[in-house]
Amino acid sequence: MTTPTKTATRRGALKTLAGGAAAAALPLWARYTHAQSAEPIRIGFQQHRTGIGAAYGRWYGRTTEAAVGLINAGGGINGRPVEIVAEDDGTDPKRGAEVVEKFANQHGCDVGFGTLFSHVVIGSAPRAGELKLPYFVVSEGTHVSSGMLNRYTLQPGITDVRSQVISMAPFITETLGKKVTMIFPDYGFGYDHRDALAPAIEAQGGEVLAKIAIPPSETSFTRYFPKIPRDTEVLYHVMVGPAVLTFVKELGEFFGGQGPALFGFIDSLEAVAINSPGLDFLEGSHFWEGMCRHQQPDETAHEAFYREAVGVDARGASVNDPADVSTYGHMFGCWETLHVIKAGMEAAGYRGPQDRAALIEAVEAMSDMPQSREHPQGAKRFNGKTHQVFGHQFISQVKNGTLMRVHTTAIEDSLYPDMVDYTTQAF
Amino acid sequence: MAKVLLSTLVLCLSAEAVWAHASEQGFVLLLPTDVYIAAGGATVVLTVALLAVLPGGVAGAIFRPVPLAASRPNLHHLFGLVAAGVLLWLIWRGLTGSRDPMMNPLSLSVWVVFWIALVSLQGLIGDLWRWINPWSGPAAFLGRIIGRRARWRYPRVLGHWPGVASFLGFAGFLLADPAPTDPGRLAVAVAVYWAFNMAGVLLFGGAWLLRVEGITLLMRSYARMGLLGRAQGRLALGVPGWQVLAQPVPSLGLAVLMLVLLGSGSFDGLNETFLWLGWLGLNPLEFPGRSAVIGSNLLGLLLTNLGLIAVFALCLWLGARLAKDQAGPGLLIRRYAPTLLPIALAYHIGHYLTSFLLDGQYVLAWLSEALGAGHVHVTAGFLNSPGPVRLIWMTQAGVVVAGHVIAQLLAHAIAVRAGQSTRRAALAQAPLALFMVGYTVFGLWLLATPRGA
Repeated sequence: MTTPTKTATRRGALKTLAGGAAAAALPLWARYTHAQSAEPIRIGFQQHRTGIGAAYGRWYGRTTEAAVGLINAGGGINGRPVEIVAEDDGTDPKRGAEVVEKFANQHGCDVGFGTLFSHVVIGSAPRAGELKLPYFVVSEGTHVSSGMLNRYTLQPGITDVRSQVISMAPFITETLGKKVTMIFPDYGFGYDHRDALAPAIEAQGGEVLAKIAIPPSETSFTRYFPKIPRDTEVLYHVMVGPAVLTFVKELGEFFGGQGPALFGFIDSLEAVAINSPGLDFLEGSHFWEGMCRHQQPDETAHEAFYREAVGVDARGASVNDPADVSTYGHMFGCWETLHVIKAGMEAAGYRGPQDRAALIEAVEAMSDMPQSREHPQGAKRFNGKTHQVFGHQFISQVKNGTLMRVHTTAIEDSLYPDMVDYTTQAF
Repeated sequence: MAKVLLSTLVLCLSAEAVWAHASEQGFVLLLPTDVYIAAGGATVVLTVALLAVLPGGVAGAIFRPVPLAASRPNLHHLFGLVAAGVLLWLIWRGLTGSRDPMMNPLSLSVWVVFWIALVSLQGLIGDLWRWINPWSGPAAFLGRIIGRRARWRYPRVLGHWPGVASFLGFAGFLLADPAPTDPGRLAVAVAVYWAFNMAGVLLFGGAWLLRVEGITLLMRSYARMGLLGRAQGRLALGVPGWQVLAQPVPSLGLAVLMLVLLGSGSFDGLNETFLWLGWLGLNPLEFPGRSAVIGSNLLGLLLTNLGLIAVFALCLWLGARLAKDQAGPGLLIRRYAPTLLPIALAYHIGHYLTSFLLDGQYVLAWLSEALGAGHVHVTAGFLNSPGPVRLIWMTQAGVVVAGHVIAQLLAHAIAVRAGQSTRRAALAQAPLALFMVGYTVFGLWLLATPRGA
């Protein structure tokens, strides 16, 4: 379980930030004097700047900027400043591979980083492997731990879908009900949930009564609701796409507040204000959150520091525009990954591309990462064999239009047997 | 999940798949757009009905311009020269500046400042392009210092057809290139296009710009929709569309270009829809990226334009038969194609409004940074709230409906001017009117339907 360290105060966070700013105010030579080379560490940021991932790309960009600002203010990596080289991949797998190639051959990047959408990761990772470019993805896909990628691809800053889903099962069966019906989009993303959740629910003594797959092109859902068995106690929904608000509205109208308990993933409503008109029906329902969007009463100092550094207010929206809701449940992955890269490079004594294999080995050697400023989402446990990190997951309930954390899973709840040992692969 | 994440409400890149559109999609789907679309169609039907009963001269009278000042001294070549300099600087920045298309002045200038904003302003105000044409300025300047006329005469037999091909090439780049916003790639494309056409202008003279260069043809076509234009040697002001009536009937090539403006714009919308992606057998929630749809987008662009030309010609032919008009199909297309300009322009404005509101902020952010005026926060907040989303949608729909109403008025005025009685004109127009009502509904549907690419 995550133990809150202490309640954060805005003043405390500001003080810390001021310290960083003071360091940043030092002349470059003073900040990086002990470096063997003042050449920057170049991190290629594969950004979904355009294409279907652009909303995420925008916030991944802001988080990355904030993390690099902090790292540089603290003296960079091995005494060298960090430089981000952002390239747009258009959320396009083929371009993703080209971007990776540019990082390695054109921009002289030390590592690649930041990819989110699974199909882009899957399209890009083989090229990273061929070019022997350490490739740190922030995607949540189970493709890293499944063994389908390679030794150069790692996911040390964000947990994967499978671990998220299975860790939800104990709470669902113990708190919400044992008879579960699933509604999910009828393709790979939905299948990941279907295939991971059902066995986990059954292992907890629960039962999945029905699995209702909705065609991805569907924009009205009323005709599917009668398929929900009457004795359903929990409705597990993972709808995504532009029609998700319609889904919620129609679900609300169908049940009229009398239906089963609702459990969803925040992905459905990432970047959307949870108290938007039309979403009222979500009041009282539960959501998985990768990191709690709304400030919790027991928010740790690390979380508060992070929230302030990325420019997000107590409701997870930009401090510049309260309507500009961030992708808060995911973007911490960029922050944490960059700090893992820093720790890995420092452990490996990284000097340049000749040390890339040593960097991979240094990250593979990592295991427990305590909650800290570097890991504001919570403690993590990295599995060097599967290249996947595991961590705490949060379940929040919508109360008066605010997502309030009601449960934090243990890291152990999210573990599953290794499917690969990348360390046996040659560099 | 990350993957699909936001595909959720997301930012489907807009148009051109290039510039992010958005999560407003989710809120648009909550609007009673069926009712709005029906109302929009009804408005256009009502316009048709009114025109059939009102005296014939009414439509023409609406478009009568008011003369303003006499023409001013002509400095546009000087500005054009500056524009060419700016363009070359932008190309250089495209090659050497930020790799981030949202922070590179070339990508922002081409796709937001030019394609979204300037094209719209050109259509709303008048011929601004004349002042910033990056070919005419240098050509005039070189002509003056060299003191020699173009070496060759443009082969008139080619007409405007090379321009049609040129614009289709641009539309193909916009809709089918895998990375049209990539600064380096865009820099090469712009440099090659500029140099090729500069050589054309130097070798063949100004006719090259008026017949071959697709962008100038696009801009000159839309200038016909501007409030400001020239009438009898003076600057004049009139209702949008007055210049369509004031200007001579275009050549067949130019008329087809006007149809292609509309067809390409429509496909620009269509190619993002769930419907189109379904036809391609693609999962709209898991768009595989632009590089997966290059061939299908090129084919779609071509077929949409061919289909539009065929249906338009058919409507005109049917109308002519009903009204016993002896004009041949070529003349009919030339006569009526300009009446589609307001529809094309309105759809351009409506389609890109959201992109403009979002990506325009990146332009401001870049400018602010370049001028040292500090950080501008780019926000998509207005796309995540029902109120603003509704306002944006209604504005888009209003513009689209207005475009169709103007188109109806123009078509009627042209029919009457061709010597037809009001009744005959109404009859001749009936198939075209039906087509325009259908197109209104189609245009509004494009704005309302879910998008996945």
